[in-house]
Amino acid sequence: MRRAVIIGAGISGLFIAYELVKRGVKDVVLIDEKYPGSGGSLRNVGCFRASFTSPEHVVLMKKSIELWLKLREELNLELKQSGYLWVARKPETLELFERLSAFHNQYGVPTRVLSPEEAAEVQPGLNTKIVAGALYDPLAGKMPILENYTKLYLKLKSLGAKFIYPVKAVKLEVSESRVKSVATSTGAIGGDVFVVAAGGRGTRELLASVGVDVPIVDETRHPVLTEPYQEIVKPALLIDWDTPGAPYVTQTFHGSIIFARNIKDNPEMPLNSYKADAIGKTIKPMIELLPSLRYVRILRYWIGYYETTPDHHPVYGPVPPLENLYVAAGFSGHGMMMGPITGVLTAEWILDGKPSIKLAENLVIERFKLGRLIKEVAIVG
Amino acid sequence: MGGEKGPIIVCRCNDVTLDNIVGAIDQGIDDFELLRKYLKIGFGPCQGRSCLIIAARIFAKKTGRRIEEVLRNYQFRPPLVPVSVEVLVAGAEE
Repeated sequence: MRRAVIIGAGISGLFIAYELVKRGVKDVVLIDEKYPGSGGSLRNVGCFRASFTSPEHVVLMKKSIELWLKLREELNLELKQSGYLWVARKPETLELFERLSAFHNQYGVPTRVLSPEEAAEVQPGLNTKIVAGALYDPLAGKMPILENYTKLYLKLKSLGAKFIYPVKAVKLEVSESRVKSVATSTGAIGGDVFVVAAGGRGTRELLASVGVDVPIVDETRHPVLTEPYQEIVKPALLIDWDTPGAPYVTQTFHGSIIFARNIKDNPEMPLNSYKADAIGKTIKPMIELLPSLRYVRILRYWIGYYETTPDHHPVYGPVPPLENLYVAAGFSGHGMMMGPITGVLTAEWILDGKPSIKLAENLVIERFKLGRLIKEVAIVG
Repeated sequence: MGGEKGPIIVCRCNDVTLDNIVGAIDQGIDDFELLRKYLKIGFGPCQGRSCLIIAARIFAKKTGRRIEEVLRNYQFRPPLVPVSVEVLVAGAEE
């Protein structure tokens, strides 16, 4: 292969490029509609965990965390494994937590159920009067995404990867079951292998241009950020499991507290269509759990997308019937944490014909047509 | 750049200096939004009201671009001044 063209210069595209370059592909081109990282990569809250509820997610995410830790040395990144604390308000939720913990432990993810008092040791100031218990994941953590993304971007540039932006990929041009080029707003870009690693809508539209359906919808989220403070939120993520939309709070390395919640909203709202009531709704439950948060001041809020598939798992691998087209999209809120494993697996599909982790094959695009969806019950963070 | 009086501060909220900006551009950051996010220019309580235009001008001059082009992806984000959580939560209904 001479040239790989990656559509989407987000964290997934960057890690795919990084693996291809490391494995000897000389000519790697990434294109982006706005600027590098302009989608979910610079809009997410930068937390990671392996404590999911499907074997696919647990195995891939555990590997991804190992890779992030290795990359910390390689690229001088920052990461902090300060854990996730899922708080239950209802006593009956603790039975579910026990089952989840047993499932995680099977795969070597050391989650455990805590009493309200133990939870208050992890998060001082937790309102134990309304807390029945918690699930704690010490393997999980957080990272400063703006710095980590940019360091990887600069590394790739120094290794010779080419970034072309702002350029909109309009459609893929096919001849004899191979993609020959991607038509863009500024002309066609040819190549030997093509990878679609764009946002939800972008990926959907580009694959539709070659007659392939991919069910990804960009669900709107409204993260809210405060002025910087000394450390208040001790775990990487504190989650209110029993409140609809699973509100959560994290604190950035810079000190800002970020609140977020899945509040019912129209999908694919423009990124500047702010809603006046989103902030209060997002914050309110967390003030009940951690009353000291009522004294913080809100600096800004923004909109981002959970690029969501029907089973909340990404779409990986080849895109048949085209022989040289691959996809890595639809991360449903987990693209940042999955970045390194996305890069490794996609490069393996391209260069070796199959991924080294067999479970990843369950995430191919055909699963939607064949009805082989993957089940998960816990989608936050 | 800087000189006898010490570093030249561009973003006062987050202590971003002229040297930081020039250094990041020299390292290969070629988009103003990426630069802004990497260095957290305009991320503090002033939300860019004092530093944004200065930083954008430095970037425009150094990269030979027009300032309109440099700022094409910039978006103001509400609320424009820091607001207490208690005020915002008081009006929130489920």
